[in-house]
Amino acid sequence: MVVLRVRTQQWFAILVLVCTVGLSACASVPRPTGTLSQAELAVREAERSEAPRYAALELQMARENLDNAKLAMQSKAYEKARRLAEKALVEAQLAEDKAMAASTRKTADELRENIESLRDEITRASKNR
Amino acid sequence: MKRQTRHQYRWLVLGVVGLLGAMSWGCGAQPEPIVLERARTTYKQAAEDEAVVQHAPGALRDAKQVLSRAEQAWRSDKNAVEVEHLSYVTKQRVAIAQAKADHKVAEADWQRLSRERELVLQEARIQEAEQARREAEQARQEAKQARAKQEEAAKQLAMLQEQLGALQAKATSRGTVLTLGSVLFAPGQATLKSEALQNLYSLVTFMQEDSERTAIIEGYTDNVGSDALNLDLSQRRAEAVRGFLIKNGVNGERVTARGYGEASPVASNDTEAGRQQNRRVEIVFPK
Repeated sequence: MVVLRVRTQQWFAILVLVCTVGLSACASVPRPTGTLSQAELAVREAERSEAPRYAALELQMARENLDNAKLAMQSKAYEKARRLAEKALVEAQLAEDKAMAASTRKTADELRENIESLRDEITRASKNR
Repeated sequence: MKRQTRHQYRWLVLGVVGLLGAMSWGCGAQPEPIVLERARTTYKQAAEDEAVVQHAPGALRDAKQVLSRAEQAWRSDKNAVEVEHLSYVTKQRVAIAQAKADHKVAEADWQRLSRERELVLQEARIQEAEQARREAEQARQEAKQARAKQEEAAKQLAMLQEQLGALQAKATSRGTVLTLGSVLFAPGQATLKSEALQNLYSLVTFMQEDSERTAIIEGYTDNVGSDALNLDLSQRRAEAVRGFLIKNGVNGERVTARGYGEASPVASNDTEAGRQQNRRVEIVFPK
């Protein structure tokens, strides 16, 4: 019953205080240094693989997200940095795996063509006898 | 005083309820992000793909993990930004699983094709060896045939010599050559002497034995007298022999007659013995 005597303005003040406390609790986000270094490593490995040749687009996206993640880190926007780093990590891995698949597929196709030519040669040679 | 406090109480209740509602609903009631549904569908399709399940089960599990985190982010926190992010990562992880599966399949194809290529090369080698063997066999056969031909020619020569008695038969590069001396003819004449005819009958028999046999009759003289007369004489003598063969049933198409006069002497024209040798008729049986 004592509560009812407090004025409406004071209620709003308490409301604002509660919200600020709540929001500031969410602001204690850890620095995503682990994820960032993982992403950096993944992008470096992708650069060294066949990705520049067979998955250039995916690799480019990974590079951009990595750069933006670093910028976000510098600006202390840690949530944003984490997400960008996670994106960069998965995109770099995808670029590498896609490139491996494309490279092996190409080798298999070339081998198939090679066998065709061999068969043609043999058929031609036996016809000439 | 009492009415005023009841009014304030109502607003207080509404305010608290509103605050609690806002806190539990985030920035108000939101529908589920479409990307989450898409992520679920993408994952489901990959999980139903036999190739992915067989070749990239680990990567598929990773994708499932991220999808679960996305579901959790929505159910518990209603964090739309995080849900969208995790849905994107799920999509990419599914793509990774598919790429890994593609890689395995391509690798398996490559292995299979390598073996196939080996077999094809082996087949080619076998065929070549077979061909070489056949060619060697053929060469052997041809050599055998050549030898047989040689033997046949030698036999023919022997037969000819036997049949034609003392008359000379020689094997040369042109074929077998039979030399008939000019005793067949009277000097300067192109008429066959009756004593010679016996020998020529043997020749007829020889020609009739093999209908494929051909003969080239060549007449020669010594160098006594004019070239023109000798040429004419040698021609007429060759034709006389030819005429005899035809008269006795040998097909004229198989026999040709030609006079060479003083050309191609076989001995020196300085002695009578040599001149006698040069006065001759040669019958060539081509190979």
